[in-house]
Amino acid sequence: MAIVEQPSGPLALRGPSTVTPDVAYGVFRRPVATSGWKSWLFTIDHKKIGIMYGATALFFFLVGGIEALLIRLQLAQPDGKLLSADTYNQMFTMHATTMVFLVIMPMAAAFGNYLVPLQIGARDVAFPRLNSFGFWAFFFGGVFLNLSWFMGGAPDGGWFAYAPNTGVPFSPTHGMDFWVLALQITGLASLSGAINLIVTILNMRAPGMSLMRMPIFSWMILVVQFLLVFAIPVITVALVLLNFQRLFGATFFSVDAGADPLLWQHLFWIFGHPEVYILVLPSFGIVSEVLPVFSRKPLFGYPFVVFSGAAIGFMGWGVWAHHMFASGLGPVSVAVFTLSTMFIAVPTGVKIINWIMTMWGGRLVFTTAMLFAIGLIVEFTIGGLSGVTHAISPSDTQQTDTYYIVAHFHYVLFGGAIFGIFAGFYFWWPKIFGRMLSEKLGKWNFWLMVIGMNGTFGPMHIVGLEGQSRRNYRVIPGMGVSFWNMVETISSLILAVGVLLFVINVVRTNLRPRTAPLDPWDARTLEWMTASPPKDHNFDSIPAVHSIDEFFHRKYEEDEETGDFTKIATAEEILAEQEAHADAHMHLPSPSYWPMVLAFGLPVVAIGLIYNIVISVAGALIIILGVYGWVQEPSVADDSDYGPPGDATKELAAVE
Amino acid sequence: MQHRMIRRSGPLAAMAAGVVALAGCAQGDVPQSTMDPKGEYAQTIFNLSWPVFLIAGVIGVVVFAIIGVLIVRFRERPGHEETPKQVHGKPTLEIALTVLPAVLLAAIAVPTVNVLFDINAEPEDALVVNVTGQQWWWEFDYPSITGDDGLPLVTANEMVIPAGQQVRLNITSRDVIHSFWIPKLNGKRDAVPGRVHTWNLHADDPGEYWGQCTEYCGLSHTNMRMRVIALTSADYERWVAQQKTDARAAEDEAAALGEAQFKSLCASCHQVDGLKDAEGEQIVAQPQTQVYNGAAPNLTHLMSRGTFVSSNFDLLRPDCRLERDDLSVNDPEAFSAAYVEGTSVECLNKTQLEAWLRDPPAIFPMFVDPTQLEATDGKYRGMPNLNLTETQIDQLVSYLQTLK
Repeated sequence: MAIVEQPSGPLALRGPSTVTPDVAYGVFRRPVATSGWKSWLFTIDHKKIGIMYGATALFFFLVGGIEALLIRLQLAQPDGKLLSADTYNQMFTMHATTMVFLVIMPMAAAFGNYLVPLQIGARDVAFPRLNSFGFWAFFFGGVFLNLSWFMGGAPDGGWFAYAPNTGVPFSPTHGMDFWVLALQITGLASLSGAINLIVTILNMRAPGMSLMRMPIFSWMILVVQFLLVFAIPVITVALVLLNFQRLFGATFFSVDAGADPLLWQHLFWIFGHPEVYILVLPSFGIVSEVLPVFSRKPLFGYPFVVFSGAAIGFMGWGVWAHHMFASGLGPVSVAVFTLSTMFIAVPTGVKIINWIMTMWGGRLVFTTAMLFAIGLIVEFTIGGLSGVTHAISPSDTQQTDTYYIVAHFHYVLFGGAIFGIFAGFYFWWPKIFGRMLSEKLGKWNFWLMVIGMNGTFGPMHIVGLEGQSRRNYRVIPGMGVSFWNMVETISSLILAVGVLLFVINVVRTNLRPRTAPLDPWDARTLEWMTASPPKDHNFDSIPAVHSIDEFFHRKYEEDEETGDFTKIATAEEILAEQEAHADAHMHLPSPSYWPMVLAFGLPVVAIGLIYNIVISVAGALIIILGVYGWVQEPSVADDSDYGPPGDATKELAAVE
Repeated sequence: MQHRMIRRSGPLAAMAAGVVALAGCAQGDVPQSTMDPKGEYAQTIFNLSWPVFLIAGVIGVVVFAIIGVLIVRFRERPGHEETPKQVHGKPTLEIALTVLPAVLLAAIAVPTVNVLFDINAEPEDALVVNVTGQQWWWEFDYPSITGDDGLPLVTANEMVIPAGQQVRLNITSRDVIHSFWIPKLNGKRDAVPGRVHTWNLHADDPGEYWGQCTEYCGLSHTNMRMRVIALTSADYERWVAQQKTDARAAEDEAAALGEAQFKSLCASCHQVDGLKDAEGEQIVAQPQTQVYNGAAPNLTHLMSRGTFVSSNFDLLRPDCRLERDDLSVNDPEAFSAAYVEGTSVECLNKTQLEAWLRDPPAIFPMFVDPTQLEATDGKYRGMPNLNLTETQIDQLVSYLQTLK
C-alpha cells in the first residue's frame, strides 16, 4: 500500500482504495505485495507491525512458560532430578530474560503500535520505517538470544547478571555474551520505538485532542516511552562494560584491578527499577480503558490517573537501591531509598482507588476483558502491599532473595502486567481482527489463570518467609517447605492449562470465525470509530475531538437538565458519516526492505564479536547496505509515480 | 460470578491472617524461618515487620471487600438499561485518599528508620568474627583468638559463638558476591569481594541455627549452606581451647596410613595444623596453586563440627543427628555440651564421608572438569574427583576421624 486515493468518477462510491508503487529506486525495487507473507515482512503499517510484535511476543510467552514449568517440575519435590544444577541456572536466567525483554516489553510495543495511532486519530506513526526496524531488531535479538541454547549453553548469570559472577572465569560458556549482545539489540528496538511513539503522540494527535483529552492508554504509553528513552541508555552502558570485560579483557568489574562490583548493581537497577514501571504501566493503561467501557462510566479522576502515572514515572528513578538493601550500602543510603520506596506506593495506590471508583455506581458487564481487569486490581493490590512490606528495609534483609520476593513480583508482573495484556487481548481482538474470541472459553481461560496464579505464587509468600532461598536448583530437604512447593507446581500446571485455553480460543476463532459487530462493547474511544479491522489508512477522515471519550459522546447525548445520557447514533451511522466525508488524497508511507536488512545486520555483527571478527565485518557491510538503501529511498513514493492527485486511472486499471 | 469473586477474597483474607498467625507458632521444623526469631536482631526486625504485615493485610481485606460489594451491587441486571451517571471524579475525595496512605506510610517510616540504624550500630564488647565467602563455602576466623603461631583461629562452615553475647561480623568474599544469612538470628548481608561489610549477630540461647548463601553465586549456589552454633559461655571457652590445639600424629596403623595418604593427596590444599612433613616441619597448604579463589577449608578440627561440605552433609549418623537436633530444641544446655564433644567415632556417618571422597562433584556440582578450566588458567572451582581406591578411602576416613 502506499498512496490512498479517493477515486474520482465512476468509482467514487467505492470509497478510498490503495495504490501501490512499482517504481524502482536505485537498483532495488520497492516491495509491492499487498497480500501474502511479503506484505507482512516488508510492511511499515503500524497495525501489521503491532500484530507481528504481538504474535512474536506470544510465541516467546509460550517459550518462557515452558521454561517456568520445567523450573516448577524440578522443584515439585525436594532434591528434584529433572534438571542439572547447570541447566537449572540457565533455565531461570532465560525464563526471566525472556519474560521481561521478549514478552512483556514487546507486548506493550504491540498494543502501543497498534492502538496509539488509532486512539489519537493518526494514519500511522511518525517514522514508519523506523517502526519496522524496531520490530525486526526485537525479532532478531530474541532469536539470537535463544540460539545460545544450541551453541554451547544459555546464559547462566541470572537476568540481573551481577558482576563479577558474569565474568569469564565464573561463566565460561558464551551464554552471557549472547545475553549481553541480545539485550543491546533489543535495546535498539526499544529506543527506536520509544522515540517514534513520543514524536507520534506529541505531533500527530487529531485536531482538538489536547493532551488532557488523550485516551489514558496512550498517556501511559507516552510515560513508558519516556522511561525507555532514559532507562535503556543506562543498561546500554552497563552492557558495554560487561561486553568489553568478557570479550576484550577490560577490567571494569575486576576486583583485583580495583573495581567495585557494586558499580554493576547501581547501573543495572537504575535501569532495572524504571523497567518495572515500563513493564506494568502499559497494562495499567489497558485496564484504565477496559474498566470505563464495562462500567459504562468515564474513568474516575482522569487527571489523577494521568498525573499519578507521570509521578510514578519520575519517582521510579529514585528507588533503585531498594534492590540493594542487603548489598552493604550503609544505613544512610538505605534510609533514603527506604523513604522514597515507601512513598512511590502513594501514586500506585491512587490508581487502584480510581479504578475502584470508576466501577462504583456503574453498570458492570462481566466480559472476559472486564474479569481480567478486575483480576488485575485484586492481584496487583496483593503485589503492591507485599511491596510495601519490603520497602521496610530491615524487614527486607529477611525477605530479599527469598521466594517472598518471587511471590511479590509475580503478583506485580503476572497479576499486573500479564492480566492487563490478556484484558487487552479480549477487549481489542474484535477491533484488530474483526472477529470475536469465544467469551465462554475466555471465562474458563480467566478462572484457570486466576486459580493457577494464586496457587503458584500465593504459597511463595509463605515459603519465602520460611526461608526458602531463590535461584536454588533444588528444594533442600528438611526445610519444612516441601508441601507448598508441591502445591505450587500443581497450580503452575493449572495456570498452563489456562494459558493454553487462550491459544485454543485463538485457533478456534480462526477456524470458525464469528464476525464482530462494529462496536461490540459500546466503547468510548477513537479506535472504535473506524472499521474492524481498520482500513489501511485508519480513518477516512480525521475526526475532530471535543472530549476525552469522543466516541461515547458521538453516540450519546446529554440532557442538559437531568444530566442523563441517551443514545442518539450507532457506530455504523458514525462510520458511514466518516466515509461520506472521506479525505480526497491520503499519503501513506510505502513498504521497504531496508529496515529488515539493517536489523538483520545486528545479530550478524554480534555473532562475529563472539566467534570471529570477520563475520562482524560481513554484518557491518549488511548494515551499511541497509542504511544506504534506506537513505536513498523516499519514505513515501512520489506523487509523480501516480500521476496527478486524484487521478485514479491506475486504480481503475487494477480493478479492471 | 459475583459469588465466586466474593469467595475469592475469603482465602486472601485468611492468608493475610494466616501469615500473622504462623508468625506466632513454634517453627522448630522450619530451620530457616524468619518468623521464629532466636536472637536480638531477628527479634527487632520481626517486631517491626509483623505490624506492617497486619496493616497490609487489613488494607488488602478492605479493598477486596469493597470490590466484592461493588461487584454485587453494580452488576448489570436484566431490564436495567439506562446509562449510569457519568461521574468524572471528586477531587476532594481523591486528595483525601492520597493523603491518607501518605500519612500512614510516614507513620511507618519513623520506626523503620530507627530500627535500620539500631541493627547496623556497632555493639560494645562484641566478639569479632571475620566471614569470608567463596565458591561454595564459608570461612570464619576469629582475629581476637590467636594460637601459638600467632595466627587467628580459623574454621569453616560452622561458626561457633557464645550465646547471649554480641558478635560483630566483618563480611567479605574471595571471588563473586555471596550473602550471609542466618534467618533466626538476623537478616542478610552481602559478601562483596574488595569490600568489608559489617553486620551483627546475637543468639539468645545455645542451639544450631541454619542459613545459606542468598546471593546467586554460580553453579552450586544452592549448596552453599552454613550454620551458626551458639554455646554456653563455658562450653564456648572449652571449644576455643580445643580449637587452639594442633592435630596429633596418627596413633593406630590404619590412621597412620590415612595420614600418609592425606599428606600426598589432600594437604596441598587443605590445612591441618600440626601435620608435619618428613623433616618434622609444619606442612603449609597452598590452595592458591590449584583453586581459583585460592582457598580451601581448614580441616584441623573437622570432627568438632556436626556437618561437612558447606553443611550439606551430616558428619553424624541419622540416629545421632536426631538426638542432637532434639537437644537443640528442647535442652539447649545439653546440646551445647554435646556439641563440644564433637563427632565421636561411634556416631560418625562413614557412609556419607566415603561417598564424598569417592566422587565429590557427583554429589556437589562444581567446576572441576579439566577440559573446562581454560577460563581459570587450569585452576579448579571446587574439589575435583581424586579417583581414590576403596582402600585409600578407608584409610583417609580412619585418619579424618582423628581430627578432633
